[in-house]
Amino acid sequence: MLDQFTSMVAGFSLFWEYKAVMLPGLWYNFLVFFLVVVFGIVLGLAFSTIRLSTNIVLRAIGTFYTGLFRNAPEYVTLVWFFYVPALLLTKLLGANVTFEPLVVAVMALSLSSGAFYTEIFRAGILSVPKGHVEAARGMGMSRTLTLRRIILPQAVRQMLPEFFNECVSVFKGTTLVSLVMVPDLVYGVNLVSSYTGQALPLYTGIALIYFAIVFAMTTIAEKLSNPWRDKGN
Amino acid sequence: MPIATSSDERNVVVKVVDLHKSFGKLEVLRGISLDVHQGDVLTLLGASGSGKTTLLRCINYLEQPTSGEIYIDGRPMGFRIDTNGERSNSSQKDINSLRMEIGMVFQQFNLWPHMTALENIIEAPQRVRKLPRAEVEGFAVELLEKVELLDKKDQYPARLSGGQQQRVAIARALAMQPKVMLFDEPTSSLDPELIGEVLGVMRSLAEEGTTMIVVTHEVGFAREVADRVVLLHNGLVEEEGSPKDVIENPKSERSKQFFSSILH
Repeated sequence: MLDQFTSMVAGFSLFWEYKAVMLPGLWYNFLVFFLVVVFGIVLGLAFSTIRLSTNIVLRAIGTFYTGLFRNAPEYVTLVWFFYVPALLLTKLLGANVTFEPLVVAVMALSLSSGAFYTEIFRAGILSVPKGHVEAARGMGMSRTLTLRRIILPQAVRQMLPEFFNECVSVFKGTTLVSLVMVPDLVYGVNLVSSYTGQALPLYTGIALIYFAIVFAMTTIAEKLSNPWRDKGN
Repeated sequence: MPIATSSDERNVVVKVVDLHKSFGKLEVLRGISLDVHQGDVLTLLGASGSGKTTLLRCINYLEQPTSGEIYIDGRPMGFRIDTNGERSNSSQKDINSLRMEIGMVFQQFNLWPHMTALENIIEAPQRVRKLPRAEVEGFAVELLEKVELLDKKDQYPARLSGGQQQRVAIARALAMQPKVMLFDEPTSSLDPELIGEVLGVMRSLAEEGTTMIVVTHEVGFAREVADRVVLLHNGLVEEEGSPKDVIENPKSERSKQFFSSILH
């Protein structure tokens, strides 16, 4: 028992030994995380506006988007975008078409998280009571001024916890990119594990690493959102 | 007490002409006309569903009238007549600029919860009237003194009682120095012991000559403070006149029924 434990701890040194694979791998996780959060927020802002529009066609498009991507597992979305468009184009054009794995991964995960950001932003905006808007408009405040001064400050406060939750889940989701050949940390560990046969310390180690990162993120998120949340209560 | 008559030479602050408003098939206002002169306190009474609140919300264009005309201080609200006499909707900018002349107090207070009492009051004067912050803040402090809440100026609405919130809301509306104040059932969501403090503030505004249109169920307030009472029924003016005439000696059978139902 003790022997197993010491050998596992010793096995953790594999992360150091193979740092040439591991470190860039972790870097990929953060890169994908950053890009997906940025694109996801952009998509979320665009589609929440569309979802809140008075135009019925636009609203339908927004509902279709969120419905599709929120209800598809990220894994399936990722794999679909990796294989299907390339296959279709190859058939259509008769030439061998492939896409850069990183690009496909970021696109698929962004579309997926964008759908969640859309709903988070929309719910935040809708949480502001109509009367607060009427009080502002009734005093002659313009639509944009009302949005900026009355709606957004309240909506942002309301949506912060959900927003950070989604960011954390985007980070967790970045571990899926190894499935489409993006050399992230999981990919590196898979590689080293099959090379050295040391699955136990490697997968335990990676679990601990991701736990530490996500735990740190959650703690920071709480620290960031609490003072905001409390204002006015 | 000044009673508005057609020969009244004071400025007409709010003029409503043949106002109709429908929500889908439901016709809530069916042709209402009234004039409110400067310094008048007009109280709108009527059973729920009679159209009082809708009328008030049409005046500042929170509801768009189906037809009819509203003039604020002589300027048409929500429409304009071009040189050919054609009527068209006015721009959002024109609506905003007229709304600056109209203060509104809501049943649910509607203070902005992320701003302190003081910040609620200075927001619109500073950002809509674009007055210098120091001037706006000085006036806000005066207004808070008037509603006896200066000690609460840095409190957020959630820390204030309903009566205090409503008094801040009144100060917020007054801060724009509007030509007319609209009150939409300002005491209806207050606990009974808090109603008095809000009515007290409204009473002192009336005494200072503020032009007010008040939708209320407080018949006592109407009797003591109003210059004119208008009783609505089913989207039409059922009865109109001095509080004494309308409340104590209502002409129609329906008005008699209405007053006996709320007074007894």
